[in-house]
Amino acid sequence: MGVAVPTAVLVLWEIFSRLGIVSPRYFPAPTTVAWTLADRLVAGDLAGDLLVTLTRLALAFALAALPAVPLGLLMGIARPVRDLVEPYLAFVFPVPKITLLPFLLIILGVGEPAFVLTGASSAFFQIVISTLAGVQTMDPRLVEVGRNYGAHGPRLFWKVILPAALPAIFTGLRLGLGLSLVTLVAVEFVAAKSGLGHLVYRHWQMLSTPEMYAAFALVGALGLVLTRGLRALQARVLTWQEDIGV
Amino acid sequence: MRAVGRWLGERWITIGSPLTVLVLWEWASATGLLRAVFFPRPSTIAGHLRDLAMDGTLWGHAATTLVRIGWSFSLAAILGVAIGLAMGLWRRLREGLDPVFAVIYPIPSVLFLPLVSFLVPPGEIALVVTTAVTSFFLIAFTTTHGVRQIDRLVVEAARHYGARGWRLFAAVLLPGALPFIFTGLRLGLGFALIVVVAVEIVSASRGLGALLWLSWQVLKVEDMYATFFVIALLGALLSYGLAALRARLLPWVPDAGDR
Repeated sequence: MGVAVPTAVLVLWEIFSRLGIVSPRYFPAPTTVAWTLADRLVAGDLAGDLLVTLTRLALAFALAALPAVPLGLLMGIARPVRDLVEPYLAFVFPVPKITLLPFLLIILGVGEPAFVLTGASSAFFQIVISTLAGVQTMDPRLVEVGRNYGAHGPRLFWKVILPAALPAIFTGLRLGLGLSLVTLVAVEFVAAKSGLGHLVYRHWQMLSTPEMYAAFALVGALGLVLTRGLRALQARVLTWQEDIGV
Repeated sequence: MRAVGRWLGERWITIGSPLTVLVLWEWASATGLLRAVFFPRPSTIAGHLRDLAMDGTLWGHAATTLVRIGWSFSLAAILGVAIGLAMGLWRRLREGLDPVFAVIYPIPSVLFLPLVSFLVPPGEIALVVTTAVTSFFLIAFTTTHGVRQIDRLVVEAARHYGARGWRLFAAVLLPGALPFIFTGLRLGLGFALIVVVAVEIVSASRGLGALLWLSWQVLKVEDMYATFFVIALLGALLSYGLAALRARLLPWVPDAGDR
């Protein structure tokens, strides 16, 4: 049942496109797209652009996660830090992060640092907020029990607070990675001259639709692998967590 | 008066820190410590914001964006709640659509613009439909989950008391799923703003996203900051305003989307 509907959609699309019921110029047959995808992955630009996007994603994610997790934890355990940072988080968090792109473009110039930092910013805020929420919503009894058994300072942090917040941190990292992919692809679409997002844009402009759909499918596959893979990893690593949520 | 004093005593850092930053920024770019080309003085930005508001430019763009958000959100909400409810009620439909949704959902919404512009007339309609895509999935997902998490005992009890069909739906299933539907709508509206701005940056000539992008292209840096401020204000209004609305309308359930 799970594969029936997607298969049916693809078969219908194939038939309609082959018979010309829908314009094959705009909706090339799935087999044509698949062939283009395989061909370009082996011989052409697709593999290169996939690599570019993956590299940007890895950089952006690392740049976001490394400061975001400690900041979130610090905000969770130290009230003054939370008070200090919260107004900026509240102001920037609901803003679409792609709006930061033009600012980074004028400050850093058109180039990789501006693209990567825009991608990083969308992950950064999500990770800080999830981490903070993880510390804030932990069962206060855990801390009390830890205290009663003589855990203070660093011991309390490493043995009680961090493990309790870990599921939320992982959720933040997972959501952050997804958000950074979304933002990066959008950035590539508007401003970069390489990467999967740019590929979709270029082939849209040139109306070379098989290539466009191939790049599109690759982004979808990438998103699917990242979201599904990380969920599975989270369920496996953090076995004490009951529900992963969305 | 004392209440105000206590409130200030608790919040002085939260209020003081942005004010300090603004004053420092003003001073630093006035003395040239920060390059005023990239970081214009907040007072200059405020002046530009006032000018943009006075000559009507800002309102025009903001209205365009709001109208687009309104259409996209309505489209996403109607389809999302309907399909989400149907998926929650009928297992076959859920099992059939789940894999399709799982593949489509993680695709960045901006990429749908080319696809959508093949399907519907390009321009305003394509823009609205593209914006609706992500919100639709969010709303459909949360609605489905909302129906599925209803206690089976409650449904059984209702059945035993003779509730069937429309009555079962309207009296048991819909109220049971409502908190989740509301969460979905709130998230969906938030995403509609995010996506509409992104799509406007990519393809539109009007709207707040377009204003930001066009200001960058002609290097009107002050206008960029002013537009950013308005977008942030709109985002805050949508997300915190709706959270407050939920707390007022459905106070008995914690927000499923809070984390």
